[in-house]
Amino acid sequence: MAEEFQITDEMRAQIGKESEPWTYEVTTTSVRMYARGIGSDNPIHYDVDLAKAQGFRSIVAPAGYIGTPVFVPGTNDPTFGFPRRSGGARLNVPTKGLLDGGTETEYFDVICAGDVLEETSHLADIKTRDGAMGKMVFVTNESVYKNKDTGKVVAKQKLTSIHF
Amino acid sequence: MAEQVYFEDIEVGAEIPQLKKNCSTQQLVLWAAGSGDFYQIHYDKDFAQKTGLPGLIVHGALKNAFLGQLLHDWAGENGQVRKFGCAYRGMDDPNQDILCRGVVTKKYQESGKNLVELDVWTEKPDGKKTSPGTALVALPSKS
Amino acid sequence: MTQAKPSVITEEMRAAIGAEGPPAVLEVEKTNCRMYARSVGHTDPIFYDEAAAKGRGYRGIAAPPGFLGTPTFRPGGGSGAPGEAGGRNFSVPYKRILNGGTDYEYFPDAPDGDVICAGDTITARSSILSFEETEGSLGPMLITKRQTTYTNQNGKLVAKMDGTLIQY
Repeated sequence: MAEEFQITDEMRAQIGKESEPWTYEVTTTSVRMYARGIGSDNPIHYDVDLAKAQGFRSIVAPAGYIGTPVFVPGTNDPTFGFPRRSGGARLNVPTKGLLDGGTETEYFDVICAGDVLEETSHLADIKTRDGAMGKMVFVTNESVYKNKDTGKVVAKQKLTSIHF
Repeated sequence: MAEQVYFEDIEVGAEIPQLKKNCSTQQLVLWAAGSGDFYQIHYDKDFAQKTGLPGLIVHGALKNAFLGQLLHDWAGENGQVRKFGCAYRGMDDPNQDILCRGVVTKKYQESGKNLVELDVWTEKPDGKKTSPGTALVALPSKS
Repeated sequence: MTQAKPSVITEEMRAAIGAEGPPAVLEVEKTNCRMYARSVGHTDPIFYDEAAAKGRGYRGIAAPPGFLGTPTFRPGGGSGAPGEAGGRNFSVPYKRILNGGTDYEYFPDAPDGDVICAGDTITARSSILSFEETEGSLGPMLITKRQTTYTNQNGKLVAKMDGTLIQY
């Protein structure tokens, strides 16, 4: 339970340690699915010819979509899809409750279908807070996405999960 | 994956190794994403009941895909699944075993191919067949 | 003696038998091959891993059995059939719909056929084979049988799908 959860020095020592990279792919299928999922009807997310006519490499990934992690059965988490890999903390917080605490995305380039990205992540922050549901643990991971072809950083994301 | 099966070793009437499935409601959502079929009777219980169904049911197409896996895994790296399909006759529930089975009904050679016909089906725990169908698989020869 | 129920098959529907509908474009991509394979529970790495697929002679990640590509979705319609139960639906007085069954046929051999791999663009052409009216445990039903032919970007025939739709 979260009430008994204590942040240890060992956990804090994980902060900043970079994980092994993982490949994230942006395809026309996945861009359209994400756009459809948010209910967007902007053709820039659906129509390849239109996107190219506007100077993009292909259809543009909607805000928040930074590719789909390559799925390897037995390696990726079956519910959330994230890769289990060495390095970088995916802290195991043994509580029943889990909520998404929020995501911040910073862009350095446009992401388009056809892009293949390399992602690494590290633990950025861990803290506890007392709230309406009792003691809650806030874990923030930061991911950096690079375009595999150019090596340039295209986006960064901070993802916070709340364990209670 | 299992060892390669060869045309010469196949006997008419023999059953191929069974594949047991059991779909969580989560798997039904995964299938909706993979297949593009977002029909609510597979994940929204209220909706399913309003259409007259007792509750959520497993997509027929997912059971068909299970039979596809049954055949693909049996045919092996050097076999080809050339035809498969089934009728979605009986309904299957999530969180219940679905047994995928197949029996060889014919073997012959045609146009240089070693072909095996099978009856395939999915079955509930009580033995009731829910998705009867047929398949055609090309197998490699030992020679 | 019960009165014969009026037929829901219209002249428009009869005229549609055998007529090919507008082609739909489907894309076979790595992300959706994996998603499909994952949702079925496939373990063969050729459906997930490009190197494994190429090692077994495929051009890219192989499409799992039953996966024929994803229609190029446009909001507001104008794309292809979503999954098996799609295609042009006529106006009939039945509100409920069930998928009656599907048969797939593959043509993996060159020169006229090919396997389906990530990177392929498939054109699907569909026509109605028959309409049938019947009475079942769910009441009066309209059974529509449809055949869809799939060719790839090189004009090769890669699959045929026979679908049965039940409206009741």
